[in-house]
Amino acid sequence: MNTKLKIQKKMREGLVILDGATGTQLQALGMPDGESPEIFGIKNPDAIKAVHQGYLEAGSDIIYTCTFGANRYKLPQYGLTDVHEVNKRLAAIAKEAAGKRALVAGDIGPTGRFVEPFGDLSFEDAVVCYKEQVQGLLEGGVDLFVIETMIDIQETRAALIAIKEVSDRFTICSMTFDASGRTLNGTDLLSALITLQALGADVVGCNCSAGPKEMISLIRQMKPYAKVPLVAKPNAGLPKLKEGKAFFEMGAEEFSSFGPAFVDAGARLLGGCCGTTPEHIRMLRKNCDGLKPQPPQVKSIGAVSSHAKTVMFERGGPLIIIGERINPTGKKDLQQELLQRKFSLAGSYARDQVKKGASILDINVGMPGLDEKGALREVVKQIALTTDAPLCIDTSRVDALEAALRVYPGRALINSISGEENTLDERLKLAAFYGAMFILLPIAGRAVPKTSFERRKIIKDVYAKALRYGFTKDDIIVDALTMAVSADGGAALETLKTIDWCNTTFGSKTVVGLSNVSFGLPERKWVNASFLAMAISDGLTCAIANPESIELMSIKKASDVLAGRDKDASAFISFFSGPKGQVPGPEKEVRDKTSKERIYQAVIEGDRDGIQTPIDKAIAEGLSARALVDELMVPAIRKVGELYEKKTYFLPQLIASAETMKRGFEHLAPRLNEEGISSAGKGTVMLATVKGDIHDIGKNIVGLMLKNNGFHVIDLGKDVDHEALLEAARKHNPDIIGLSALMTTTMVNMQEAVRSIKDSGLVCDFLVGGAVVTADYAESIGANFAKDGVEAVRVAEYLISLKRNTNI
Amino acid sequence: MTIRITLPVRSIYARLGFKKGVTELKPAEKEKVDKTIEEAKDIVHLKGAAHIIGILQVDHVGIELEGGIILSSSSLARMLSGCTQVLLMGATAGQNIMDAIAQATSSDNLTRAVMLDAVASEMTDGALDWIMDYVNQDLMRRVQHLTKKRFSAGYGDFYLENQKAMYDLLRMGTIGVSITDRCILIPEKSVTAVAGVAALR
Repeated sequence: MNTKLKIQKKMREGLVILDGATGTQLQALGMPDGESPEIFGIKNPDAIKAVHQGYLEAGSDIIYTCTFGANRYKLPQYGLTDVHEVNKRLAAIAKEAAGKRALVAGDIGPTGRFVEPFGDLSFEDAVVCYKEQVQGLLEGGVDLFVIETMIDIQETRAALIAIKEVSDRFTICSMTFDASGRTLNGTDLLSALITLQALGADVVGCNCSAGPKEMISLIRQMKPYAKVPLVAKPNAGLPKLKEGKAFFEMGAEEFSSFGPAFVDAGARLLGGCCGTTPEHIRMLRKNCDGLKPQPPQVKSIGAVSSHAKTVMFERGGPLIIIGERINPTGKKDLQQELLQRKFSLAGSYARDQVKKGASILDINVGMPGLDEKGALREVVKQIALTTDAPLCIDTSRVDALEAALRVYPGRALINSISGEENTLDERLKLAAFYGAMFILLPIAGRAVPKTSFERRKIIKDVYAKALRYGFTKDDIIVDALTMAVSADGGAALETLKTIDWCNTTFGSKTVVGLSNVSFGLPERKWVNASFLAMAISDGLTCAIANPESIELMSIKKASDVLAGRDKDASAFISFFSGPKGQVPGPEKEVRDKTSKERIYQAVIEGDRDGIQTPIDKAIAEGLSARALVDELMVPAIRKVGELYEKKTYFLPQLIASAETMKRGFEHLAPRLNEEGISSAGKGTVMLATVKGDIHDIGKNIVGLMLKNNGFHVIDLGKDVDHEALLEAARKHNPDIIGLSALMTTTMVNMQEAVRSIKDSGLVCDFLVGGAVVTADYAESIGANFAKDGVEAVRVAEYLISLKRNTNI
Repeated sequence: MTIRITLPVRSIYARLGFKKGVTELKPAEKEKVDKTIEEAKDIVHLKGAAHIIGILQVDHVGIELEGGIILSSSSLARMLSGCTQVLLMGATAGQNIMDAIAQATSSDNLTRAVMLDAVASEMTDGALDWIMDYVNQDLMRRVQHLTKKRFSAGYGDFYLENQKAMYDLLRMGTIGVSITDRCILIPEKSVTAVAGVAALR
């Protein structure tokens, strides 16, 4: 019996027990701290064999080879370069230990590099790296493969594709998730599952990072969507620190007590990771004896994924919008960028469409003069970095399709596969290899079938072929074919009939390229939106459309409600309530406030745009600029300062008020001049961030607050050395010099700056601040201290008043 | 390496002085703040570098690493007692966010600038947390772990001058960071740090 069948039989019989940790076991046998287990295993084969035997005696059905880090990027760190030989030898040791008692899984772990588009390692280099390891493991006699402790979905894909391209062995794929269900690289549980099971992993699951309690929840979350068995290999709890040393606390009894809960949650393969021992495995086996794991609950699943998000195609769910804007047709700017291999515009389109409600993004770069294969590959990578939305790869070229599918870090949707005989098999094969869903385009010759009846035949024919490649109806979305009603008045009805047939009879999902229906007509948006409403009523699943059309998205939201596809109208209500709501509501009544109240309120509320009009009105009513400043604006900003100090306001609110005040001052400046008042008459403050320090946001805030409170501020910027400070001080003769520093090591430059100014004979006060500066330090260098901009104003006013009193 | 982290919204709000249950923020104001924070997240391009290197000697004034590199700091030396290696790490939020902060400041929108600044700072710090989590996962297989604490040059007695050696070892030029002759990293939201590698039992 081949090993795939053996393993499947084993899984049908009961829970499959895996092994436990290798590192801690080797450490107990003398492996030095920091040594690589692979190197130690090569040098001490009896030791690694003893570890394998320990787990075999404990009852492991599958043991892992000691080759987790045996790849070309990790081995050289320990002085080894013959990847093939290392893997072959360590696999042979495991095989010898296992004999006929258990199966041996070739263990493949991360390279320590990140694969494009998330890192600098090319996808092909990653595949080559893993193929090298796989070939060594195969020659060493492994029965199956396990890809484990992965955090990067792209690296996991590279390893899985490497295995698929070299062998047909059973493969377990296990990633490492935190308690929130994401890997360090942001891949969530569901997206990992959808991507890897579609790509051909025989088992998917999680290992490491979490203890059993946390991991049970992760397995439970995966179960409803898993069409393959699930694996769990938790740590022996989380490492704890005691007397400066870290260790795993969870003993075998406690660890194994979670076994039945894992089975209940849906795990069919169970073992232990860091900190576990043969005793943990022995007791796990014992505690799970006789338990019957559940088979997968689903046979197929209609979903596409990115590296961090999944979109499920649920019959009866809201219509899914596939954003159509990344398409160079009619877009000169985008065409130019693509020719120059630039992608910022495509990135903007991606972000904007997602913000406006697109769940999936169609990527089309077909245009004359462009290397479509190269460009599509690059755009797919860039968009995968820009947004979490899953992608729909739109190309008629097989080579471009393959290039994009290979490098896409998720489960893609292909737009599209038609009934064209000469490319059908090739495209189906590609889609099957990469696990993609596809849009089935019911066209089989030159002519587009006009009627729904003609389209149905092609749909059934293509589907029959797709079945041979393992596809189910969950994996396809039928394009109901939208033609222009301006050319054929019955075109829309034929599309609607096709949608209805697919929904009620054939049993598949549907999509339309929406804007085709209105081609050649004026006011296309109304035709598109109405057609969409009708199609939603007939059961349309998704539409390739422009989500930035407000009419379209509003009609879509309303139609979802009317068709019973938006439960409780929650999406509709959310869309239309609040500032995000696109439909203008009735004008809010403007409170009948006096201009004076509105000026005061504008400063309190930080309404920069709302201060000038009431100022003009107040002036027109006869109020003086001085009165506005002294009686309204200054009290308002002081009130804001009080609110900030009580933490009723936080920094953005303080600054918004200060900026409103500043705008008010600027608007009043001509009037103040006429009235003979300087808006900066309190004194001159010179500000700088000290030599060696480039942090200036705090200084900028202080400057703004001082200006608002009537000080003339000279800002010298950041990293200001003593000579420049002295020269500026001589030139401007400030009343106060304010210095800012963020780091303890640059703070010392404050002392030198103060000394150099004092030694020069210049007379002024000093005010210092910054994250690490304290009042004690300020006092020690002969300066005053302010913890923030509000306090800086108070201290500055105090210093000026002292000076004035002294000068009297 | 490109680093992707969950936006640390709570830390960003805390950095801006928000106190739960005390600070009063109207829904419309909160929406504006959240929108700016989201925009900042799109502008920040977190990149990081990490390098584990052996410790040759630790004494009361500092440590000597393989290759004769000296890091001078008594408090760092104390933290690293018992460690056989150190993890050097560096992270940057990228130049784009600094340009956006400068642009907001020069167009008199300091409100926006302080929010962008807070996001950049917290995300850069978050990048170091990420690197430590990532390295810890790898170290666990070799029965090792990182010290909980990390030290950055420029604070305590770990002077900025130490940053040059770390910058060179981490090859931070490859992640778009430069260093001035005063050992300041450019772009501003760039940081290096040191943690210790110790045995796990």
